Amino acid sequence: MKSHVATEAAGGGIRWLGGGMSMLGLALMILLHWEVFFWVNTESTMGVVQRIFYVHVPAAWVGVYLAFGIVALCSAVYLWLGDERADMAAVAAAEGGMVFTTIVLLTGPLWGKIAWGTYWTWDPRLTSTLLLWFIYLGYFIVRGSTDNSERGRRFSAVVGIVGALDLPLIHLSVTWFRSLHPQPVVLKPEKPTLDPDMLMTLMTGLLAFTALFLGLIVFRYGLERSRWNLELRTRRTGAA
Amino acid sequence: MSAPPLGPRLGGRILGAVLAGALILASPRISFAQVAANELARQTLGLPYWHVFIAYAVVWLLIAGWVISIARRLSEIEKRLGKD
Repeated sequence: MKSHVATEAAGGGIRWLGGGMSMLGLALMILLHWEVFFWVNTESTMGVVQRIFYVHVPAAWVGVYLAFGIVALCSAVYLWLGDERADMAAVAAAEGGMVFTTIVLLTGPLWGKIAWGTYWTWDPRLTSTLLLWFIYLGYFIVRGSTDNSERGRRFSAVVGIVGALDLPLIHLSVTWFRSLHPQPVVLKPEKPTLDPDMLMTLMTGLLAFTALFLGLIVFRYGLERSRWNLELRTRRTGAA
Repeated sequence: MSAPPLGPRLGGRILGAVLAGALILASPRISFAQVAANELARQTLGLPYWHVFIAYAVVWLLIAGWVISIARRLSEIEKRLGKD
């Protein structure tokens, strides 16, 4: 099998890139916490609990849209070109996406209990996001379900592409169906309907989560590449 | 050096502004907003405060858990790569 993967020589570059992005993300996270707890105004109808918004929405952006977008794109590239690096990026993004989607699914109910009076309701937005979490789970189950690692990679790539169909459903569920979940306040045709200080805090959150996610998936990609190098060595040793 | 006198026009304007401010503060709308603000301030001591605290703790715990998991797996594989 033809390998497109570089050897360990580029490992230092990955560490610098991952470390730099993660540090930037961490610094922005600290700034976000200062803004959330000491700077931004309290929302007039929901009160203090609305501050969950500043981690809930960035986690949704990263876990749902960015991570699964990378998974779908890299899975398509892997199936098309057979480049293992695309599969490594897909699995790294899928693992990070699952972590951030779990954050969305845990922080949302904590907010919902105060705002709606219930932790969970089978609302279209909530249900389609839970479905995405199960698609991520399926991605890993399918990947590990066969002894042939190449076949596992191809099966999981198919799940990664088909699963992306859930993304527009998640985004449009609040407009297509009657939903308890709030309508978009930033990503909409008109200008954002948030107060400037709230919008700035949200932007800090979006940047912090994006930088942290990208930094950590670079490390996760490095892990997958080391695994691949180990597999190659084992094969070579076996052949010799 | 003593400050120059304000003059009847400017003094009248300041008095007018103070009176207008007092009138606005005494209006029912502002009083309602103050009550709402007090309610929001009291809310920080109750259940919503704990929900916010737990939500932020969940974020840190899950991200830290992921970082630790990556670090462990990476060091294990690097050890094996080093041995071979």
